[in-house]
Amino acid sequence: MSETKSLNQKFEELEKAKEWFYSDDFSLDKVAEKYKMAIALAKELQEDLSNLQNEIEILDEDFTK
Amino acid sequence: MENEIKFSPTDFIAAANQTLEYAYGSILIEGEVASFKVNQGKWVFFDIKDAESSIPCFMTLFQLRMPLEDGMKVVVRGVPKITKWGKFSFTVQAVRPVGEGSLKKAYEILKKKLSDEGLFAAERKRQIPKDLTKIGVISSTAAAGYADFIKIINARWGGLKIQVAHTQVQGLDAPDQIIRALKYFNERNNVQMIAILRGGGSADDLAAFNDEELVRAVAASRIPVITGIGHEVDESLCDLAADVRASTPSNAAEMLTPDRENMKWAITMIINELFRVIINRAEDLKKDSVEIVAQIRNVINMKIVDFRKILSNQIKMLVALNPEKVLKQGYAILNGKISPGNVVKITTYDKEIKAEVKEVYERN
Repeated sequence: MSETKSLNQKFEELEKAKEWFYSDDFSLDKVAEKYKMAIALAKELQEDLSNLQNEIEILDEDFTK
Repeated sequence: MENEIKFSPTDFIAAANQTLEYAYGSILIEGEVASFKVNQGKWVFFDIKDAESSIPCFMTLFQLRMPLEDGMKVVVRGVPKITKWGKFSFTVQAVRPVGEGSLKKAYEILKKKLSDEGLFAAERKRQIPKDLTKIGVISSTAAAGYADFIKIINARWGGLKIQVAHTQVQGLDAPDQIIRALKYFNERNNVQMIAILRGGGSADDLAAFNDEELVRAVAASRIPVITGIGHEVDESLCDLAADVRASTPSNAAEMLTPDRENMKWAITMIINELFRVIINRAEDLKKDSVEIVAQIRNVINMKIVDFRKILSNQIKMLVALNPEKVLKQGYAILNGKISPGNVVKITTYDKEIKAEVKEVYERN
């Protein structure tokens, strides 16, 4: 389901963003920008999670016969 | 006697059977099994009795969905009829044990039989698919167990496509309906997991899930099956045959889906963690800067000390080479051309002398 796959992709992006903060590439010059990006991504993910709905279908088939 | 209706034996039996069919149709009788036997590997005969009466029953072995033994209390569904030999018989359409004792006995016999066949083997079990998005549910939509499952799954997660096959989940007809629903999902193959659900109940209520044909259908399903039947303590043969067993319908919903609230909390924790990492790394960088400055200061100080030593030595040398020192020791400095008749200047420690050169000769 594309929404779930997109959720997974966003999670992976957030994990990658987190790795930067621990890596040797960390610098005070870029930290504000990177932190803002991480917060925006996190907010998006939380909204997506809140809005997810299930589709429930009761089958017409008669299983008594 | 002249005006009374006369039947032949055949006609009378036919009329009597019609009357019975009209009066009773299909009925349920509950009693105790006696004189149980199987003839030629396909015909089943037994009596169903109570304290005072006994009814002979007949059925095919194919229809026998749970093991029976003399003494078991059972309920049979069937039609009464009179055979062409004038014997009363009850043609059984379905039979199942009733009461805890009989149910437990039938359960143990069937469990051993199916276990010996390998139906419950651990290596047959399949995992819940990781990217689960399509679920087939077999349950009664009127039942509390189904309502609990839907409530929990909607709270925990979304984005799923759930198809629901409404069936009975207790009684004589339940096993066949559930088997048809399993067949439906397996033939269409458009779900990734099938959930068979039924809330708590008595041993009689849950007996349908120990039906041999249903248990075999669960084991044979090409699509993985999860069962959520009864309560934690209830274990049916369908539970043993399924790929995954949940203790209840609610637990089935929990096993099938992640919890979105936990995930939202985990995301918040990541952001908090990043904030702490930023503070710590900035502190580390500051510490590094202070250390570097201290190191540079040390290097400069050491250089200064070295230069001072060198300077001190050079000063000593200069002092040692000072002409005044030499003059103080009694030596003199002579300036001017040294040739006879010239006037030269002689400098001592405390005097300057002008003198005429008388004679010049080489020292040996």
